[in-house]
Order: sequence, then structure tokens, then C-alpha cells
Amino acid sequence: MKTSRIWQMVPLLAPVQLLLLSVIVIPSVYVIWLSFHTSTFGQSASFVGWGNYVQVLTDPGFHSALWNTVVLVVVAVHLEMLIALGMALLFNSGLWFRRILFVAVLAPYAVSEVVGVAMWRFLFDPDVGPVSNLLAALHLPLLEWSYEPSHAMIMIAILTIWMHLPFTFVIIYAARLALPSDLYEAARIDGATPLQSFYRVTMPLLGPAILVALLFRYIFAFRLFSEVWLLTGGGPARTTEVVAVYLYQEAFTFSAFGPAAATAWIMVIVSMLLASGYIYLLRRQVRNAG
Amino acid sequence: MRVERILVNAGKTLAVLLLLVWSLFPIVFIITSSFKPGREIFAVPPQWFFAPTFDHYITLWQRWAVFFHGLLNSTIVTIGAAALAVMASTCAGYVYSRYSSRWLGASLLSLIAIRLIPPIVVTLPLFPIVNNLGLADTHFILSVLYATFFVSLGTVLMRTFIDQIPRELDEAASMDGATLPVVLWRIIMPLAAPGIIAVAVFVVVFAWNEFLFAFIFTSTKAKTAPLVISEMIGSIEGVDWGVLFAASTIQLLPVLIFVMLMNRYLVAGLTAGATKG
Repeated sequence: MKTSRIWQMVPLLAPVQLLLLSVIVIPSVYVIWLSFHTSTFGQSASFVGWGNYVQVLTDPGFHSALWNTVVLVVVAVHLEMLIALGMALLFNSGLWFRRILFVAVLAPYAVSEVVGVAMWRFLFDPDVGPVSNLLAALHLPLLEWSYEPSHAMIMIAILTIWMHLPFTFVIIYAARLALPSDLYEAARIDGATPLQSFYRVTMPLLGPAILVALLFRYIFAFRLFSEVWLLTGGGPARTTEVVAVYLYQEAFTFSAFGPAAATAWIMVIVSMLLASGYIYLLRRQVRNAG
Repeated sequence: MRVERILVNAGKTLAVLLLLVWSLFPIVFIITSSFKPGREIFAVPPQWFFAPTFDHYITLWQRWAVFFHGLLNSTIVTIGAAALAVMASTCAGYVYSRYSSRWLGASLLSLIAIRLIPPIVVTLPLFPIVNNLGLADTHFILSVLYATFFVSLGTVLMRTFIDQIPRELDEAASMDGATLPVVLWRIIMPLAAPGIIAVAVFVVVFAWNEFLFAFIFTSTKAKTAPLVISEMIGSIEGVDWGVLFAASTIQLLPVLIFVMLMNRYLVAGLTAGATKG
């Protein structure tokens, strides 16, 4: 490429690069520096080496936050994927009013975390919530999410799945629509049952899309903050905290910037590990497609 | 064979009904409840026929004037974020579409990687900096933050859409003496309009609904609508559900209608963004 053309490109790339550098890259690098120092507001920082990391990694509070996060990611994301897969097959099997149904199913995508929390808090309100009333009428156990930590986690999982199912569904459904129908024709002619053609044709071909959607959702579920913060605030007694809420508490409630920064870098490292898997898959797909 | 078919159809109908209840019941419920008089919100079983009233909306107007200020703030921040993200992404997307080099390929991958850093991580160092620069509690800082977390996806989307515009068009325009800004403004932007809409849809939905950054970086002047709603949920004297539902309905309806109208762009964006990288 001619050098003059490279110089033409610089002003066009500048806005994006400038935004990313000043808002994400430089602050993230500065977090590394913070993570090796102790500092609070208005005090000069002193170097503590790995001290903050040791403190965070040995804190039972962090262990429980990490455990909660991992459980939520594993349970909610996989459940969400199963439902999305079922929905994609249902939509693909020929439905009446498919277009309208599709838009209806997309609706939760428009709902903010705050309004989502308001809805589900009311639905499951132990005294007045319609779902709680229904469960009580059917003599089923209630979700005591306001004081029973495991029930609160179930609430958070339901809310997360409800909010993100449209995303996962769209990815999987689009991938399913892209599969050529003559493959199924061929499988049928060879005498495959619907179940066989699902396991032998659909699953292997949808595999890459499922992996990409899963990695994407792992990355986003790992940073889960608002739903937990607004639903339980991490309580009762910090039992439902996830890693992002733990970070927030350390930084903005206890002004412990060092441990918060160490937590932040642990989050970055985990996200980047997941992201490198995601990018590896993307590159392989691009190569296969090209 | 016939019985089997009836069973399959019954199963599918049941599945569709469950899906509809799951997706729509919570939304329809709070919207209708916001028009229910007083205690009818709590009626068991829920009432679907009632004389609608605007009582909760009037109370909202009288007691939570701050909510309407929040709506205005949300509008300003959303428009700012969408404009910034669209401009920046179109310019960068053009470069990634029209030129290729090792360095550019690597930088596109780094864009995607950077976007995957959790937002809460950058709040730590940005909080004191934003305060020192006097940018805390301004529309500007929220717009910049929201746009930044979408320029990576935006650039990838714009590249995909600009790839479909024949190069000959911009080359012919350059031959005729059009400068690069003119080419972008007169040729690329009009022809890449579906891409621009897709990027704008993502940023608008995100910026209108976002909680974390608004929670950390605003306090009074630039407080957005979701933040005011979160205060209603957390109010100490107990939640006034009717008023909360009225505020939620006002916050939700515009973006819900927007998403439903724009669903094609949203789907095109989601699939291109997640799978084409």
C-alpha cells in the first residue's frame, strides 16, 4: 500500500482508536498499576507487590462471589442455550404467524435491567406477587428470594435467562436457517428418523454457532452486575454477591482500591481467556468460509 | 399417522403458548397494571378487565418530577452516544472494508478483544479521573462511555455493510475530484444506511437502558431514567408498585416499539456481529 494512502486512513481510524484507548485500554493498564499498590481516596499509593492479589484470593468473600458467578454462568447460560436450541427447532418446524411470534419472542431484549428487576420482583413478591400466589394455590414451594440465598440465586438465574434468551435464540435460529435443506432431504431419503437427522445433521452443523454463542454469553454472564445489585444488593449478608458486585463493594463501599483493582484484573484475565477462545473460533470460521 | 400428527401439533401449540407467556406476560402485566386503580394491582387472581385510570401516572408526575428529568437526560445521552458511535464506526468500517494489510487485520481483532473487557473494570480508574476533569454527572461522559463500548461492534458491522458497496463507486467519485469526507458523506453513508440503522439500534437500546455507568458516574444533573426507577425499587418507605409500573411503562414502551419495528436490523446486526467478527 502506498504511504500516502496510509496517512489518509489515520484520521478515519482515529475516533474509534482514541475512544477505545482513552476509555478502555489505558484505564485497564492503569488498573494493573493500581492492583500492585494500596491506595484509597486522597492518600498516596505505596507498592505492595502481590499483596492485593493474595488478599483477594484468600478472602472467603471472594471465594463465595466467584463460586456464585461460576454457578450462575454454568447453570443459566447452558439452560438458556437448551431453551434457545429448542425454540430454534420449533420455529424451524413451520409455525403459523412465525413472523409475529418471532417479534414477540424478541421483546425482552428491549427491557432494561432495572425494569426487568421491577417486573420479576413483583411477580415473585412473597405477599402480593401473582406467580407466588399461583404457586401457593397449587401448593408448590415458594421462592423465598428475599432471605434465602439459594432461592435468590434461582431468581437471578431466571431473570438473566429471561433477559438474554432473545440474543441466544437469534444467533442459533439464524444459524439453523442457514443450513441447506437438501441435507435433510438426503438424510430422509437415506431413511434417517427425525431424531437421527437432529443428532447427525443439525447438531454437528450448528456446533460452531453454538460454541460462539456460548463463549459470548460466558463472557457477558461473567460480568453480571445490575441484575444482582438491583435484586438482592448481594445480600443477605453478602451471600449472593457475584464477582462484579464484590469488586464494586471493595472499591466504592470500602474504598479498598488495591483489592478492587486486583479483582478487576482477575476479571480481565478470565474474560480474555474466554475471548481468545471466541476469537480463535471466529478466525477458524472465517478461514473455512473463505 | 393422523393421531401422531394431531399430537405433534398439540405439542407445538403448547410450546408456542408457553413461549408467549414467558416472553410477554411480565411485560404485558406491568403495562396493564400501571393503569389499574389502587389495590386492583394486587387482586387475586389478576384482573384483566378493569376501568383504566391514570392515577399512578398523575402521582408519578407529582411526586417523582425527577423521573421526567431523567427521561430527558436519557434522551440526550442516547442521541449523543448513537451519533458518536455511528460516525466513528462508519469512518473506521470504511478503512477496514477498503484496505487490507496484516496490521489492519490484527487491529480489527484487537478491537473485538478490547470490547470484551468488563465495563466495571474501567470504572475503577475512570471514577477519580472523571471527577478531576469535572466530567462527573454530565451527559458528555455517559455518551462517550456508551459509544465506546459499541464502536467495536459498530466497526465490524459497518465493514460488513460497506463491503457490499462496489468499490468502483467511491473510486469513480475520487476520480471526479471528490475528497474522502465527501465520498463518505455522499456515497458511503447513504448506501450503508441499513448498517448505520443496525449500529444505531444497538447503541440506542443499550444507552437507553444502561444502569452501571449511570449509577457510578451520575448523581443529580445527568441522572438517567433507569437510575430513577432503581431508586423507586429501593425506596425505604416500601415500593409504591403502581407508580413504579407507570414509570417502567414510560421507560419501556418507546424502546419496545423501537425494537419491534427495527427487528430486522437487530437480527442482521446480531448475526453479523457475533459470527462474522
